[in-house]
Amino acid sequence: MERGRWWFFRVAPGMLFAALPGDSFFQGLYLPRIRANGEQQGMNVTSILKEMHRAGELGSTQLDALTDLHLKKRYSVHQELRAAIYIGVLLITAGVGLTIRQYFAQLGDIAIIGSLTAGALAAFLYCFVKGKPWSGGEVESPNILFDYVLLFGCTLYAADVGYIETQFRVLGDSWHDYLLVSSALFFFLAYRFDNRLVLSMALSTLAAWFGFQLSARFVSFHKYYRESAIAYSLVTFALGSLSHRLAVKKHFFDIYLNFTVHFLLMALLSGVFQYRFASWHLPAMAAAIAAVAVYSMRTRRFLYMLYAILYGYACLSAVVLGFVDGAAAMYIYGIVSSLTVIGLIFILSRRFKEGT
Amino acid sequence: MSISLYTAEQEERLFIRREASAWARSGLITDEQLAIIDARTDPGLNRTNVFFRILFFLFTSSCVQAVIGFYAYVIRIRGEVAIACSALAFGIVMAGLAEYLVRRKSLYRYGIEEALALSGMALTCAGIVILISQLHFEPRSFITTAAMLASAGAFWLYLRFGFLYAAVISVACACIVPFQLSLPPASERTIVAMVLALILLTSIRAEGSETRDFRRERSTLLQACLLAAIYLAVNLRLPELGRAHFGDPAPFDQFHAGYPPVFYWATYGLTFLVPALGLYLGLKSRKRLLTNAGLIAALLTLATNKDYLGFTHYAWDPAVLGVVMVVAAIVIMRWLANGSREARNGFTAKNLLKPEDHGINPADLGAALLPGAIQANLPPSPPEKPFAGGQSGGGGASSGY
Repeated sequence: MERGRWWFFRVAPGMLFAALPGDSFFQGLYLPRIRANGEQQGMNVTSILKEMHRAGELGSTQLDALTDLHLKKRYSVHQELRAAIYIGVLLITAGVGLTIRQYFAQLGDIAIIGSLTAGALAAFLYCFVKGKPWSGGEVESPNILFDYVLLFGCTLYAADVGYIETQFRVLGDSWHDYLLVSSALFFFLAYRFDNRLVLSMALSTLAAWFGFQLSARFVSFHKYYRESAIAYSLVTFALGSLSHRLAVKKHFFDIYLNFTVHFLLMALLSGVFQYRFASWHLPAMAAAIAAVAVYSMRTRRFLYMLYAILYGYACLSAVVLGFVDGAAAMYIYGIVSSLTVIGLIFILSRRFKEGT
Repeated sequence: MSISLYTAEQEERLFIRREASAWARSGLITDEQLAIIDARTDPGLNRTNVFFRILFFLFTSSCVQAVIGFYAYVIRIRGEVAIACSALAFGIVMAGLAEYLVRRKSLYRYGIEEALALSGMALTCAGIVILISQLHFEPRSFITTAAMLASAGAFWLYLRFGFLYAAVISVACACIVPFQLSLPPASERTIVAMVLALILLTSIRAEGSETRDFRRERSTLLQACLLAAIYLAVNLRLPELGRAHFGDPAPFDQFHAGYPPVFYWATYGLTFLVPALGLYLGLKSRKRLLTNAGLIAALLTLATNKDYLGFTHYAWDPAVLGVVMVVAAIVIMRWLANGSREARNGFTAKNLLKPEDHGINPADLGAALLPGAIQANLPPSPPEKPFAGGQSGGGGASSGY
């Protein structure tokens, strides 16, 4: 009866579909395969841990802890809880924003400003009361919630000041200085409580002070934005480098560098697209890409190599395709350039075999 | 003998290395111990890091396209049969090249062989479809054939190379077929959901006797994808989620979303049952991806609940959902922390394994976009006030001069 009930489920679709973990169906088919060096049968995580323990290469406590982890006798839901709180905070922020937008006339300025200010102050107060003392190194959060309370406080502050500015225009023509003040506050809070999320907010708010916005105008990258982007990237790089050199939150450097690389390379690339050889953008782009690539190799952070190669290829294509006439030449360029890049990455990948 | 180009032993060794890397990253083993594990688990394969893999994939794909474009330009092929034969020939060459690189150069998830294999599959399918099109089928049969071919091709890639995304493509293409059979919409969704559920059930049943860790890991990912696909098939109000206009009644322009009432309310029940099943199976067998798929589906169920019931949306709905999520997370965290050794039944809120850090992660990027998103939701400046039309915000990254 048991066999009859499950026969269909076990055999028929199992032979057909990918979700089958086993591959016994395909036994008997001869298809050549490559072999591992010195292949041993039956090696698995538990066996290798036991082997290391027997050889004295792994302590008994480590063996127990790792076996428990592997067999999922100890199972962490830390990342899931963090994700739930992060998404929760984003949803609360969205809900607050939508409510203000829709009901601001009924709620009145005092209620909106009062509640946003009280919420932001409460969040900041919580952080100052619960937060660990400041340190120049990496400081672990006192609990999972802490980082997100700070983020929530910052979003309420941003909504509060944004609302005041749009409704009352207190600073008149100097309104954009709000952004600098907001950015400075976010920088302070990010450094005080070792919060990468708030640092990202600080850097994007600083970008807003430099004149960037999330719109088609920014993407078009005309001359004005190009110069702003270069200035912004130099400032962020200077801030990040200073922080790194002074050994104050050295682990923030990657965030700074990501903002720097994208703003700088996008700006220079737009210059190359516009002027090709007729400006300083091309040599500056080449120098910047070389610097990013060298940094990537030295620190073995290959994300930057990805940036360097993609921006470099876009730059090269912008220059070369301007002089290429006809479809055949374009295809030949595509083949030769792709193969060259593949060869280059292949050499790099051999050099950093099985890197991170 | 397996159909796969890689042996189970090689895949298992790679799994051991991945586990060991996570332990080393989390400080559970030393670098010396990691080196010992690496030395004992040499799979005899050439691998590269994820960023080089992406680059290899992109540039190999680009090269393949340029080669085909150049061929088409030089040969000046005319006529559909000639195009189909060329596509078939290129497809076979690309697939052969991918196999050659794996067998002779021992490439494993290197990007190059992936791009070649996928291009080969796509070109072969395209060639066959163009040839079939000469028989002047009706469009629905044509799409059905193309979808089945693509599904079979992707399935072959999964079996031969072990690409998990190929299995996902295979499922996605297979799901297109019922929608081309001129059936009522309810029947289409029913067939899709039932077939996917059958595959999921099969996978779960067949896994019981499996001892290889890498296969369990693979089947978990596939099960998570299948659960997500079943959920997409049963939630009739999901397409309206993005269109929901806050403050207006739910988009009930079509009563029961145009489906029969029995079917409509059955799917409503399933939008709760499917996430519950995912969570139950995921937590019971401690499969992270399946649990997460169940959680995301549960979140979507809460988000579409008002649409299903025809209730009015309010501006504060997202905030209420956010508060529920935060409170639930805190309650679970505290409950786990109060257990013996800060765990209950092995579940703990402590951070045991650190994820890979590439310097910046999606959460950082999301936070960077927050000021702009806040600004976009602020009420407009009152027209009667001076200096109206400003675009800045407190943190307003969307501002401009």
